[in-house]
Amino acid sequence: MPPMDEIVLTAATGRTIGTRPSRRLRTGGDIPAVVYGLDQDPVTVTVEWPDLRRAITTDAGLNAVIQLEIDGARQLSIVKDIQRHPVRRDVLHVDFIRIDPDRAVVVEVPVVFVGEAEEVINNDGMVDQNMFSLTISSTPANIPTGIELDISALTIGDSLRVSDLVLPQGVTTEVDPEDAVAVAMITRSTLDAIAAEEEAAAAALAAELGEEGIEGAEGAEGGEGAEPSGDDGEADASDE
Amino acid sequence: MLMPKKTAHRKHHRGRTRGNAKGQTDVAFGEYGIQALEPGWITSRQIEAARIAMTRHIKRGGKVWINIFPDKPVTEKPAETRMGSGKGNPEHWVAVVKPGRVLFELSYSDPEVARAAIDRAIQKLPIRARFIEREEGF
Repeated sequence: MPPMDEIVLTAATGRTIGTRPSRRLRTGGDIPAVVYGLDQDPVTVTVEWPDLRRAITTDAGLNAVIQLEIDGARQLSIVKDIQRHPVRRDVLHVDFIRIDPDRAVVVEVPVVFVGEAEEVINNDGMVDQNMFSLTISSTPANIPTGIELDISALTIGDSLRVSDLVLPQGVTTEVDPEDAVAVAMITRSTLDAIAAEEEAAAAALAAELGEEGIEGAEGAEGGEGAEPSGDDGEADASDE
Repeated sequence: MLMPKKTAHRKHHRGRTRGNAKGQTDVAFGEYGIQALEPGWITSRQIEAARIAMTRHIKRGGKVWINIFPDKPVTEKPAETRMGSGKGNPEHWVAVVKPGRVLFELSYSDPEVARAAIDRAIQKLPIRARFIEREEGF
C-alpha cells in the first residue's frame, strides 16, 4: 500500500480547559484537542469537527500526517489518540503528537487479510484474526496505510505469525516475530454443532429402524395369523 | 450456566447504576458485537440464551466471545413469606451492565448471517442493545 499524503488542519489556541468549557465547545461544533511532543510544551487547542473529520477519513486513516496550523505556524503532527463517547461514538477529544519528518515515529497500522482460505472454509473452520493492528516504527513519509497478509494458503491448524508479514521498505517492528496474526481453526461451537447434528442423525436413523422393525413385526403378525414374532417366534418354532 | 466458583460474600447490596461504561466499549476480539444502550442486570440464563441463539444461527465456522460475567448474586424471598426475618436466599447471578458496554462479540465470514445471529441474541436480552462492527481506523 502506498504511503499517505499530508493534510492541513487549522487549530485555534487559547481555549479554556475543563469539563464545562469543553462541553460548550463540542456543542458549538468544535473538538477540544492537545498538541505535544518533540520536547516542547503541550498546547491546548481547538479544531473544527468537519475539518478534523476530513483529515482523518482519508485512505491513511488515523495515521494521516497532518500539517497542524497553530497561530500561523505549521507543525507536522499525527493523531496519537482519539476519545469517543461510548454510546454516541462522537469524538470528544483528540491528542496530536508533533513529529519530525526525519525521525521515526511509532504508530499502529491495520493488518489486512488478502484472499480467502478456501480449504479452511470447506472444512467448516474459520480464520481467527488474533492481531488487528501492528505497532511499527517508520519515518512519517513511509507510514503504510495497512499491512497485507495473504491467508489463501492456510489450512486447519496452521497459523501465520508476525514474521510472515512483509513490511515495506523503511518500516520495522519490535513486536515478537512469533506472535500469531491469524490462526486457522475449528471452533468449539462448530464442533458442538457437528456433534449435535451427528447425534440428531443417529437418533433419526434409530427411530426409522425402530419403526421399520415394528412395521415388519406387525406385517408378520397380520400375514401368519397367531404366529408370534421375533425370537419368541423362533423359540416357539423350535419347540414345535 | 455462568457463575463464580467462590465468593467473598454470599449476598450483595443491589447498588445503583449510574453513567456509561468506562471500558470495553469497542469490539476487541471479533468483527461484530452487541453493545448495551441502557443500564441493567443480565442474568446468567439470559447470557446463555443469547449465546445459544447466536451459535445456533451461525451453525458452523464462527466464534463467539462473552465479554460479561454474572458475578453479582441476587436474592429472593420465598413466595407467601411475611416481610422481615432477614435477607432472602441467593437465587441467581447477574452481570451489571452500563450503556456502551460490548456484551458479546462474534467472528463470522458472512456479515449478513452475523447480523441476523446478533439480532436473535439481542432478543434474548432484557435491555436495549445494538449491533456494532469493529472500527477500522476512524
